[in-house]
Amino acid sequence: MAKWGMVIDLDKCVGCQACLVACKEENNVPHGSPEEQKSRRDIFWHKMIAVTSGKYPHVRVEVIPMPCMQCDHPPCVTVCPAKATFKREDGIVVQYFRRCIGCKYCMVACPYGARSFNYKVQETKPYHRQDDPPDRKSWEPWPFPTRTQGVVEKCTFCFHRIDQGLKEGKKIGIEVVPACVESCPSQARIFGDLEDPQSPVSRILASRASFRLREDLHTLPKVIYLSRS
Amino acid sequence: MGEKRRMENHLAGKKEKGKTFFDLSRRKFLKLTAMAGLSVGAMGIQQPSKASPSQSSTGFGNKAKGKWIPTSCLNCTARCGIMVKVVNGNAIQIKGNRSSLISEGQICPRGHIGLQVLYDPERILSPLKRTQTKKGKGISPQWQPITWDQALEEITKKLRSLQESQKPHHLLIFSGLNSRSHEDLLFRFAEAFGTPNLVSGEGLELESEKAGIWMADGHFDLCAYDLDQTNYILSFGADLIESSPPVARWLRKWGRLRREKPIRTKIVEIQPRFSLTAAKSDEWIPIKAGTDAALAMAIAHVIIQEGLFDQKFIREWTHGFEAYRQIVLRDYAPEKVSKLTGIPSETIIRVAEEFGRTRPALAISGKGATAWPGGSFTSYAIHCLNALVGSIDAPGGLLYEEPPAYRPFPNLPRDEVAKRGLEQPPLDLHGTENFLAARIVTNQVPKSILEGKPYPIEMAIGFNSNLNMVAPGCKQWEEALQKIPFYVHVAPFISEMAEYADLVLPATTFLEEWGYDHSTPGAGFVEVRLKQPVVKPMGNSKPIGDILFHLVEKLPGGVRSAFKDIGESTAGFVRYRTSSLVPWEEFLKSGVWRGPDYQYGKYARIFQTPSRKFEFVSGNLRVLQMKKGRNTGEEKIAPHYSEVKWAGDEGQYPLLLFPYQPLLTFGNGSQNYPWAQEIFLPMQGVGWVSPAEINPETAKSLKVKDRDEVWIESPFGKIKTYVKVSEGIQPGMVCIPWGQGHTSYGKWQKGIGCNPNEVMGIDFDSISGQSAFFNTRVKVYKA
Repeated sequence: MAKWGMVIDLDKCVGCQACLVACKEENNVPHGSPEEQKSRRDIFWHKMIAVTSGKYPHVRVEVIPMPCMQCDHPPCVTVCPAKATFKREDGIVVQYFRRCIGCKYCMVACPYGARSFNYKVQETKPYHRQDDPPDRKSWEPWPFPTRTQGVVEKCTFCFHRIDQGLKEGKKIGIEVVPACVESCPSQARIFGDLEDPQSPVSRILASRASFRLREDLHTLPKVIYLSRS
Repeated sequence: MGEKRRMENHLAGKKEKGKTFFDLSRRKFLKLTAMAGLSVGAMGIQQPSKASPSQSSTGFGNKAKGKWIPTSCLNCTARCGIMVKVVNGNAIQIKGNRSSLISEGQICPRGHIGLQVLYDPERILSPLKRTQTKKGKGISPQWQPITWDQALEEITKKLRSLQESQKPHHLLIFSGLNSRSHEDLLFRFAEAFGTPNLVSGEGLELESEKAGIWMADGHFDLCAYDLDQTNYILSFGADLIESSPPVARWLRKWGRLRREKPIRTKIVEIQPRFSLTAAKSDEWIPIKAGTDAALAMAIAHVIIQEGLFDQKFIREWTHGFEAYRQIVLRDYAPEKVSKLTGIPSETIIRVAEEFGRTRPALAISGKGATAWPGGSFTSYAIHCLNALVGSIDAPGGLLYEEPPAYRPFPNLPRDEVAKRGLEQPPLDLHGTENFLAARIVTNQVPKSILEGKPYPIEMAIGFNSNLNMVAPGCKQWEEALQKIPFYVHVAPFISEMAEYADLVLPATTFLEEWGYDHSTPGAGFVEVRLKQPVVKPMGNSKPIGDILFHLVEKLPGGVRSAFKDIGESTAGFVRYRTSSLVPWEEFLKSGVWRGPDYQYGKYARIFQTPSRKFEFVSGNLRVLQMKKGRNTGEEKIAPHYSEVKWAGDEGQYPLLLFPYQPLLTFGNGSQNYPWAQEIFLPMQGVGWVSPAEINPETAKSLKVKDRDEVWIESPFGKIKTYVKVSEGIQPGMVCIPWGQGHTSYGKWQKGIGCNPNEVMGIDFDSISGQSAFFNTRVKVYKA
């Protein structure tokens, strides 16, 4: 079984945030408003943070694009009382919207702030995709057309693309990648199987210095960053 | 309340689909939970998909199939090739067109935002007529919908009367960000009608950069850069990954420059603000604003003194090097320039040596360095650095792109009235004493309107323009717009400029119309993108091209015949013009036509100067000056630094206003797009705002704290915003992003942030007519 991971090269990343917009576009993630941003209620599956250090003129800012880290030891899964969030066999941590009771324990447990809560009924937009789940009988988590008010939601590594790609016999990581990887104009992102030593992700990780966010917490993220130098 | 509505939605949704076991049980369940007072939302009940189980298919379901249509983006001047996914008549996704090599099939975040442009709920869908006679900021025009026939009749009546009274030049046409095809039609219209007054916003962009290039080699245009091969980039005030055209190409190539070449390109960013580009560069050199020319000359000083320049190119293909050498060695020693620029002389020497020793190397000028009075000479000085290291028309250097060979228009039938109109002096005074080499002086137009000189303007038509928002000194534009007796605004949105219109015509967005586009600067090679409608025009909106074709039908001979035999409609016109490039069917399918690969070293034909060489002392400028009977010394026509002329007294206005252009508002007048607004400022991690960034030291001396509300006051007005204390700003400066402070149109932009242009002084670069954007002084105090 593959274990999907994403590598983000901070040297190539231009901080343009195309990943953020493409994610909203792909997954019908609702846009926010000034009020929601003030109260931190706007929903992002993918965000970008800026970490500033130093004093003028020796200032340094690192902008870090952050999807869900897809931890191999996901604290959100441990705390969920409803078993609404779980790790799939391929390592993707998904949210089962029908089981979620909206208690937000997972949001507290997540050290990366990767999760958002649906505070309101979301409007349907003409540009929303209206995709049906591939197999309705299976009752698997399915994020489209929109999620419901009162549930927690987060990045899915675009599992709908991966599952469909596998079904069609496509090469995951080359022909099929998550929306943020596809949309990255500087091509700073690589997606693929971390277990396969020949995959592009494994190869680049073997050749460059890399790190994960908050390694001290032993969450073992499967989103791995390549350092700038 | 919300829950009740949601329940109703559930139920309504089900009625159409018939009842299944699941549906019934959920319905009951919903009722039960509602009765029990439980929060339905918190139970996380997912709305079932609309297809019934029996219809469910494998894959994404039949609804998702749709198709990808190639077209062209128009959210900024890069005009990238895009693919749009259309399902059930709705556009639902945008990605780059892999056939387009200008950005290697990639697009910037703004490309995706095209969906919110198209489906903006506040678009205008019918022609509107003003019923309020008074015009002014904050005065509601009280629009009344009218029919297209009515609107066009009013416009043509006015146009006919201008022609009959032999005053076609009293018509003023504004062109904002439009497709090349629409621009070409507008040129044709203006010429056939007989007005020399077709005004674009280019005078606010990079005219001084173009003029600097023109002084050296005769090209009044921006150069493309050979980013695949360059090993060193020295950027003077250019935010390469935020607002340097073509944006998507820069974003793509940044990845290549860093990690996809055998040698990692070193990028040095020189500007007073620690921008995103500076953060992503290898080195940031904060420079005292407005002294870039001095620094470029000092770098030349080191390169010449140490003999690091390209001897062969200088000997064979340049003119005036000796005079330039003397000026550079005499006046621009690093120690001296260090005092001017605030950069240690060791840094200047080190960077100059790196630049001189690394081949190929590129020096790039940006708006931050050249949108100043005297900016042309800054651009000239920077351009000369490229000549010194032999990066002219060479691998890894500057490229001289040739325009695509569209099929030419048929000859324009000459109409006596039009001929006389075209002979009138232009309203923007370009080419006159004040703006010697200028091609367009956008910000002179309102002054001319207000003075009624050289003649009064009786009618204006604006196509997607929003000049009273984007030009320095907004107030001047507001007054000028008030004075125009009849103003027609053509755009999909009610912008700030539309508020002054007597008539508004709803134009389509770029996803609903035909066109062709190419980028200048592009990538060196020629590439043309087809723009085709991916969805039906919304409401009663019409493409600008169609509006023009309709208009000319009702106008007398000359104008009408100018639009004969060029395709009869916008689509036909696009087909006509591109027929010289590519077969139509092929173009429809790929969306992209690409010319031959770039040819380097065309020295024998690219230099359009008196010496037919690259000139370190501008013969082009000398010729122009002689024509006007002026004769200035060599030093005045060679690159040089001159002290900045400030607007505002330093004692009274101690700080310098230094605005900047974030990527998410680049190149487009409107900003009613929540996807862009919520992530507007990545370096601060905020959206929906435009704070005034100042250095902690400055904040301390002003006795203001982070998040304090303040007034930014210049001699020309004041605006209110809040303070963001930032280590990335040079002391003594205030940095405010462009793109906010809208007063019109759309709840996602109106009343958000402030517009620094409102307090900016009006000044020009005298050679190119470029508007100065950075020489206004301000004071900041608590609100």
